[in-house]
Amino acid sequence: MHRLDPRTKIMGTFVFLISLFLVNHFAGFGLAGLFLLGLILISGVPFRFLFRGLKPILFLIVFTMLINLFMTSGTPLMSLGPLSVTEEGLYRASFMALRLVLLIFGSSLLTLVTKPITLTDGMERLMSPFNRLGLPSHELAMMMTIALRFIPTLLDETDKIMKAQTARGADFESGNLFRRAKGLIPLLVPLFVSAFRIAADLAMAMEARCYRGGQGRTRMNGMAFGKNDVFAALILALYATGIYCLRIRLG
Amino acid sequence: MKPTQTSEFWVQAAVIGSLYAALTLLLSPISYGVMQVRISEALTVLAMFTPAAIPGLAAGCFFANFLGPNGVLDAVIGSLATLVGAMGTYRLRRRFCWAPMPPVIANALIVGLMLYYVYGVPFSPFYCVFWVGLGELVSCYGIGLPLARFLKKRRSDLGL
Repeated sequence: MHRLDPRTKIMGTFVFLISLFLVNHFAGFGLAGLFLLGLILISGVPFRFLFRGLKPILFLIVFTMLINLFMTSGTPLMSLGPLSVTEEGLYRASFMALRLVLLIFGSSLLTLVTKPITLTDGMERLMSPFNRLGLPSHELAMMMTIALRFIPTLLDETDKIMKAQTARGADFESGNLFRRAKGLIPLLVPLFVSAFRIAADLAMAMEARCYRGGQGRTRMNGMAFGKNDVFAALILALYATGIYCLRIRLG
Repeated sequence: MKPTQTSEFWVQAAVIGSLYAALTLLLSPISYGVMQVRISEALTVLAMFTPAAIPGLAAGCFFANFLGPNGVLDAVIGSLATLVGAMGTYRLRRRFCWAPMPPVIANALIVGLMLYYVYGVPFSPFYCVFWVGLGELVSCYGIGLPLARFLKKRRSDLGL
């Protein structure tokens, strides 16, 4: 799975995410869950990596579940003082939570089995049919690659500036929301200056190496659909048909 | 020799994008969810100075959301909202006080409704739109506008 063509993986992820919104019954989630479980086992990604992606959103999931559980009106199952759990609430809460968890697992699997650079390459190729409509797909992909490359650099830079400004008496941590927001200006201004300097240097360097955009450019590692991609597409089609049939049968 | 328009344009876009993503990730506790104040949205004022900010901000938002807790869908829809907002700012670039408004509206409507319909946030859609919009207002006007004032003064130093 790690070696599949990135285009297959991107399209596959989108089909999976859309399928989750077509599901209207728990049986559909069962199928989606089994499919995802199979993929995870094949990919060999440890489950703990996937759960790590879930952690920041855990609060939202639990909160949404609780509100749905107690606030949905319908046939009561049990009650705790003024709060009562209804059948519909239980159904709605678990339905939403399951969908959210599957959504997150599905999309983190894509990032866990694909290098970001390969991902942007795949996107460039997927967008290339739109070139005729005037979409600069190569430039867009190049921009995304550069942006990705500079995120850690600028994170570092921000941290450095924050420390430097704190040493000069800047205050990032006290006051109300507005004051805090305003306090960030001494951080943003030097950050801008340094970011634009980086951009100017990089543009100059590219120019010095005769970079001329996408036309006629060749690649070191070409992209080609292989047998495995055909196989993966078949399985995906099978899965999508399964979800669709379940929707019609149980809808 | 001065770099040609295109490579400089795209590199500038890229750096603006990573600036957006870096700021969002650094301040991630307040950057996602219904009551979000995404400080990086203040960068949308850059679209007043250079059109490179339009694709840059969209790409930055894409990465920030992709790496954030809400996954691919938020990345696609959220960056669409930022794209629309940045385009609006670019069009209104001559009206200093109105320019930061389009991102506020675009994000409030698109992101607010997305949180409601897709992620099933248990508040009314109006409430989601209101809170996202309010957070956006704080970052675009509270930080964005003073930033724009500074950039206007120092425009030539920054090569914008």
